[in-house]
Amino acid sequence: MLHYLGRRASYSVISILGLLTLVFFLTRLTGDPSALYLPLDSTPEARAAFAHLNGLDQPIYIQFWNYLADLLRLDFGESMRQHRSALEVALEAFPQTLKLAFVAMLLSLTLAIVVGSMAAARPRGLFDRIATVVSLAGASAPDFWVAIVAILVFAVGLGVLPTSGTGGWEFWVMPVFVLMLRPFGLLVQVVRGTMLSSLASPYIKTARAKGLARHTVVFGHALRNSLLPVITVAGDLSTGLINGAVIVESVFGWPGIGKLMIDSIIQRDFAVVQSTILVTATAIFILNILIDLLYAVLDPRVRY
Amino acid sequence: MNPTGIVSLVSAAILAGAASPVLAQNASHDIRIVLPEQPANLEPCGSIMTNVGQVLNQNITESLTVIDAKTGKAMPKLFTEWKQVDPTTWHFKVREGVKFHDGSDLNAKAVAFSIERMTGGKLTCNNMAKFGNAKLTVKPLDDYTVEIKSDRPQPILPTLLSVVMVVSPKTPVDKAVNNPVGTGPFKLTTFSTQTVVLDPFDGYWGKKPVVTKATYVWRQESSIRAAMVETGEADLTPSIAIQDATNPKTDFAYLNSETTAIRIDMDQAPLNDVRIRKALNLAIDWEGLAQLFGDDIQRASQMVVPGIIGHDDGLEPWKYDEAEAKKLIAAAKADGVKVDTEIKLIGRNGIYPNGAEAMEAMMTMWQAAGLNVKLVMLDVADWTRYLQKPFPAERGATLVQMMHDNNKGDAAFTIPIFYRSSGQYSSLSDPAVDKEIDTAMAATGEAREDGFKKIFRQMRTEIVPDIPMFHMLGYTRVGNRLNWKPDITTNSEIPLANIQFKN
Amino acid sequence: MSDISSVVPSTSAAKPRGRVLFNYLKRDRLALVAVVFLAILVIAALLGPWLMGDAATKLGLRHRNMAPFQIDAGWLYVLGADTLGRPILPRLVVGAGNTLGIAAAAVFTSMLVGGLLGLVAGYSENWYSHVIQRGADIIMSFPSLLLALIVLYTLGPSITNLVIVLAITRVPVYLRTARAEVLELRERMFVSAARAMGANSARIILRHIAPLVLPTLITISAIDFATVILAESALSFLGLGIQPPEFTWGAMVANGRGYLSTAWWIAFWPGLAIMLTTLSLNILSSWARTVADPQQRWRLQTLKKAAR
Repeated sequence: MLHYLGRRASYSVISILGLLTLVFFLTRLTGDPSALYLPLDSTPEARAAFAHLNGLDQPIYIQFWNYLADLLRLDFGESMRQHRSALEVALEAFPQTLKLAFVAMLLSLTLAIVVGSMAAARPRGLFDRIATVVSLAGASAPDFWVAIVAILVFAVGLGVLPTSGTGGWEFWVMPVFVLMLRPFGLLVQVVRGTMLSSLASPYIKTARAKGLARHTVVFGHALRNSLLPVITVAGDLSTGLINGAVIVESVFGWPGIGKLMIDSIIQRDFAVVQSTILVTATAIFILNILIDLLYAVLDPRVRY
Repeated sequence: MNPTGIVSLVSAAILAGAASPVLAQNASHDIRIVLPEQPANLEPCGSIMTNVGQVLNQNITESLTVIDAKTGKAMPKLFTEWKQVDPTTWHFKVREGVKFHDGSDLNAKAVAFSIERMTGGKLTCNNMAKFGNAKLTVKPLDDYTVEIKSDRPQPILPTLLSVVMVVSPKTPVDKAVNNPVGTGPFKLTTFSTQTVVLDPFDGYWGKKPVVTKATYVWRQESSIRAAMVETGEADLTPSIAIQDATNPKTDFAYLNSETTAIRIDMDQAPLNDVRIRKALNLAIDWEGLAQLFGDDIQRASQMVVPGIIGHDDGLEPWKYDEAEAKKLIAAAKADGVKVDTEIKLIGRNGIYPNGAEAMEAMMTMWQAAGLNVKLVMLDVADWTRYLQKPFPAERGATLVQMMHDNNKGDAAFTIPIFYRSSGQYSSLSDPAVDKEIDTAMAATGEAREDGFKKIFRQMRTEIVPDIPMFHMLGYTRVGNRLNWKPDITTNSEIPLANIQFKN
Repeated sequence: MSDISSVVPSTSAAKPRGRVLFNYLKRDRLALVAVVFLAILVIAALLGPWLMGDAATKLGLRHRNMAPFQIDAGWLYVLGADTLGRPILPRLVVGAGNTLGIAAAAVFTSMLVGGLLGLVAGYSENWYSHVIQRGADIIMSFPSLLLALIVLYTLGPSITNLVIVLAITRVPVYLRTARAEVLELRERMFVSAARAMGANSARIILRHIAPLVLPTLITISAIDFATVILAESALSFLGLGIQPPEFTWGAMVANGRGYLSTAWWIAFWPGLAIMLTTLSLNILSSWARTVADPQQRWRLQTLKKAAR
């Protein structure tokens, strides 16, 4: 197992370096950033001075060489927008997203497992139908729509929650709710699907024939064996949340890494694009390793 | 029937008495302002960028002069008086008795330091854009007198100096700062990813503002900003979309010194034929298009707003005349002009509210008149390639969506870049026009004004290098505690000293 | 003997397959409704531009943001008008084509590519299975917006490029799900049995394992449809999606974003259309799953009574 972990870790480091190289070259294909940092009526001389000050006028291979040399000294460059260390900017933003994503994912997964299993226990019954419609409606609703309408109803209309911002638990309610919708919707369906297959297996019939209570059968036996695909999808959704909680972050004003990444991409703040991708990629790779380990824990047939 | 309206009515009773999570600010004079975007940094040299200027200008740092919005003339701020000694030399008197937040004194040396920091080139200074290629040499003549020499005649140097933010001599010259030290009535307490907090500076030289603490937050969605002021979570937002400005008691429109237009690429066929350019102006249903921007929007006939020196008040904008447009196109076609050539309309995402819709509408109208116009929406960096020289060689015939901001009181910040052959945005190359521009730029007083007016008239009636659209409006929402109205400078600065309370 | 056979489901009779499927559909009312809805959508996608193309693109600046349920301006305006005064109902009908086309192409491509790569990556532990997995990790970590920006900036904003971008970003989920299922399935007895009989890896993967992995992938793809439509909507909001005057439901939703409190219908109707489409696809996929699984099929079958 340790051998496996060691190998995965080293592959991951190589992959992350490959990713950063890819990002480095590809982002520089997307145009001259001076247009975004200097006022539109700047003179060509001013633009040239800006390019020179930020090392953008050198050939791309020299820029890449400098970048690698800086990386070795753990210098990830400076944000052209904020005039601060790019890594510091990314590391400040990441915990905000992580907190939100973690809570949302935990709630989605737990609720989805419960609801999905109950739906699978009586397929095409009333509960199943309602659960399907509600979860799918949530999953396919545009998230900004839900977010803004929720704010209009609960904050402006009823005044029971704050509109936006961070703070105590009341600031978490709407953002987490909006963030949960798609994961919950998808996971309910996946759980239901895999549970349906499991519940039809011979060993379940055996368990029922033995006289075990329904909920023991469903949750104690069938669930464990359905979890592999569920965990996979949940893992993919988590990474999606880390990268993609942009809407929630921008509507509710949470200074998270999703919004930071999008803003940096649009603003061509190369150093911050690279440092945010570094941070999120590391998190994603670690998450994927954990999920693979979880497979082995959950299913003894999976061997590495 | 607005569902939100129904909910609001029903819940009014619930609200009365319900504990609100709103911070209890009512007794104090602390205010909360919600901005559309986070200030990327607080470097005073970047204060012409809206998101920086709205926090910094006249609050933390102050400028050497300020522009009077109605007359366009420069007024004293940290410089108290000035005179032009010869065409390239001015003498300025520095205000006495002013201290910086860190205790340093404001004197001629400090002013020279600030100007040299700006022009020195060791850090990127956005405010320098207003100076173009002018080179300035600053010399303190005594403790409170400064001499500024320029390499070419600068009749409006005091106007130009309105962008110079004076910083403490202890500020680093070779890097941008996020903790500026200025002379303003407020000092910076906090700058984080979520908020900026300003507290009063007790040693301020002028009148103490009523506001005792200013907290800035930012939310990207206009509907959220409007909601925050509505619920009381914020007291003021300087910018909301027109469709959210539904409450006349709290929502105020103001002319924000931006003019929207379409820049025509005069080098490329068929746009090089003046009849096609006139047709482009005539084929638009201007009244219909104005519906996208609100009832108070002003139609533009030239690229500066009324109040700027050089604005010709008598110049009429183009009217909608589809028949005439079609006639002109037919005449051009008869003369062999290839009117079917594809014309690319280059839009910029997010340039102004309803910008994309406006481009779609204009494209449809031009197609109806018989031109082959195709819309391409680009992001800022991509769009800039088409906006400024050097233009991409393979661009084809292009029309570029743009917006121009001139709140510095003088058409000198507009005319050269648009119409001179060396201008950044200009596809014009006419030596006669260049000479007229240079003459007007060097003139003063009425000769200057008349020179500029003549150029705008010529552009509108004879040369038609662009399609001026509208003088844009900004919309603000002001909470019930405050007594404040926006003016033309609100787009670039929100001086807290101007905010009063209703009591 | 004949008494026993009378309660056996009559699948062995020579009924045409279509008829059998239709019977299954009849037993599941909701699935039937879903199929009908999807059929209407497909017809709209095919015939829409021809029937309502003009109405969908005609400007009506004088009735911008017109509210729904007023018939003064004509029945076409029953769902209201958008920010440029164009009636929403025809736009929904005409937009169906682009929306379904782009989403179907992206989902199908990513499911095919991701599924196959996942099968390969899960079945063996060689170097290329590692390369595939790390490749998936890299794609997952690459922000989709950046990918969209790069592709669209360098290659131009065309529908094909849009589909490519959307497909690439969805590949990892199919890849990893397929791999997870394969990891578990490859240890099962039927695999060893097949191997003992001399089947090569490709045959085992495609003929034996793939059909068992497919149901989960299809379940995911049904919701992925909505994810792709909404991803395109997010790209449209940033101007990177489908370019005007072409439009999709996602683009309509993006346009309505700033008007939720004042003209809610602009984003609501296309959003509802997306929701109903997703619902239908999902119900259909769930029904298909039941039909395809021999152990579940009984839920949709009737007992045939023998003649007495």
